[in-house]
Amino acid sequence: MSGLALVSINHVYNGRSVLRDVSLLTQPGEVVALVGPSGSGKSTLAAIAADVLTPDSGRILRSYRRHGMVFQQSRLLPWESARGNIAFPLVLDGMARADAFERAAEVAAAVALLPSDLEKMPDQLSGGMRARVAIARALAVAPDFLIFDEPFAALDPALRRRMQDLVIHLSATFEFGGLFITHDLTEAARIADRIAVLDRKGEGILGSLKPEGRPGTRSEAAIYAFVQHETATNPLLADLMNVDERALTYDDACDTSGPRRCC
Amino acid sequence: MRAMTRTIGAQLDRLRVAPEELVETGLVLLGRWLLRVVPGLLGVALFLGLWHLGHLSYGQFILPSPVQTLQAILRVLSSAEGWGLITATIARVAMALTTAVMVGVGLGLAAGYVTFLRRMFAPLATILLGMPATAWVILTMIWFGPSHGSIMFTITLVTTPMLYLGTVDAVLTRDRKLEDMAAAFGARAWQRFTRVALRQILATLAPVSGITLALGFKVAIMAELVANVAGLGGALARARANMDIDMALAYVALTVAALLAVEYGMIRPFQRRVGQWKRGGAL
Ligand SMILES: Nc1ncnc2c1ncn2[C@@H]1O[C@H](COP(=O)(O)OP(=O)(O)O)[C@@H](O)[C@H]1O
Ligand SMILES: [Mg+2]
Repeated sequence: MSGLALVSINHVYNGRSVLRDVSLLTQPGEVVALVGPSGSGKSTLAAIAADVLTPDSGRILRSYRRHGMVFQQSRLLPWESARGNIAFPLVLDGMARADAFERAAEVAAAVALLPSDLEKMPDQLSGGMRARVAIARALAVAPDFLIFDEPFAALDPALRRRMQDLVIHLSATFEFGGLFITHDLTEAARIADRIAVLDRKGEGILGSLKPEGRPGTRSEAAIYAFVQHETATNPLLADLMNVDERALTYDDACDTSGPRRCC
Repeated sequence: MRAMTRTIGAQLDRLRVAPEELVETGLVLLGRWLLRVVPGLLGVALFLGLWHLGHLSYGQFILPSPVQTLQAILRVLSSAEGWGLITATIARVAMALTTAVMVGVGLGLAAGYVTFLRRMFAPLATILLGMPATAWVILTMIWFGPSHGSIMFTITLVTTPMLYLGTVDAVLTRDRKLEDMAAAFGARAWQRFTRVALRQILATLAPVSGITLALGFKVAIMAELVANVAGLGGALARARANMDIDMALAYVALTVAALLAVEYGMIRPFQRRVGQWKRGGAL
């Protein structure tokens, strides 16, 4: 029992419809990737799934106990150390700071952060380390469902690979299902049990693809072949490579070193 | 137990540093410290040197020497009356700024979150910010007479709009994505405000607090001088009336010293506490 059902979700931003009649169902323990071009409303759907945003209409059924979330650009609190960031959701829950710190050290070990990394501030950490801290923060609340919103989009390919392997490993170890949002089909094919494709304009889920086998058991060659074959032949994916620059949001424009840095 | 002693011993061995290495490190640290302090000291020396040159060419009735001024300062500091003047000014600034913080930051927070209030207060804030401090001194002297109250009123009116606008700006420029992050982990509106928004707002306000304090002091001195009310400004007015340039300079120096004392005693620690993360090591 750890699935999520989004039923007929509609959302309008300032009079502009962003999501129209979007329905998505995840099975218990299943990791579903949601792909769609930038600006198609993926982050909006993630925010709705995470209860950050209330949709204009539609139903959300959560049959999991608790969710955690990993964001694009990590979104670490810049005034807290890595340890403080990981402990943040626990402190929100009302856990004593000392206990929360102890638990933070535990989950930090699960994502291969060293005790010495925990004292560092976000701006002293590299993109990869920040992603690890963000994952540890999501794991801190012992979630049985995880929502990822393009968490590795800003990382270089080698690092992205390593982070994807970490997510596959963690999902097997801690047995969480989840929603993994990405616009990278290879990433989706590596991490997810199933890949749902969101319409370019958020007008519903177009359909879904199912790569052979479970994540973690697929060979690189199989993933490559799958992606090549599907992009060439599957009409669902025709729009995935068409990015509408005008529809890009602040999230994509966000600069980690700029004045509005969001790390 | 013995094993533990041995490991500790081994660690101590590793920590042991050759004396020449220690001296070397010490010299490097000393060098760095000198590099940091020497330019400032040179600046002060340059200032005092120019002052003394001015004294030599204009004579002590126009510009007393730094040493004469220092003697005058010591005279003020050794009298109960002198301390009374300093305390009076600082107390006025403190009380007026407390009011300004409560009103300016309070309204600024409300207006930052509520667009209607922001639009309503915008013309008011612009007008108040544009009012010269002297105009307030004159008006309040007419309204309340030359009193303690008129000076406090003036300081409050001059500093409140700055704090207000600073706070509104701080609310508007905060990173709302962090609040969404907190919401995703189940934070309620109040938690998002206190644990995420307020941290950023205070950090943005940190530099404003220093500017406001300095402004508060300047206005206090000016208002005391015009109203001739007991305080450093009032003493300055009296020194001018008696053509006592030694004392006038001493009071000016004391004003600057009082401002610096509050700045380094209260404002800087506040800024470091709330704003260090934003400016890295710059504070
Ligand atoms: N807070 C917002 N206010 C208004 N429009 C928004 C907001 N957030 C996103 N949008 C718009 O909604 C659309 C979908 O955005 P988003 O969900 O971020 O897409 P994706 O994550 O797929 O790139 C975009 O056109 C974007 O400009
Ligand atoms: Mg997005």
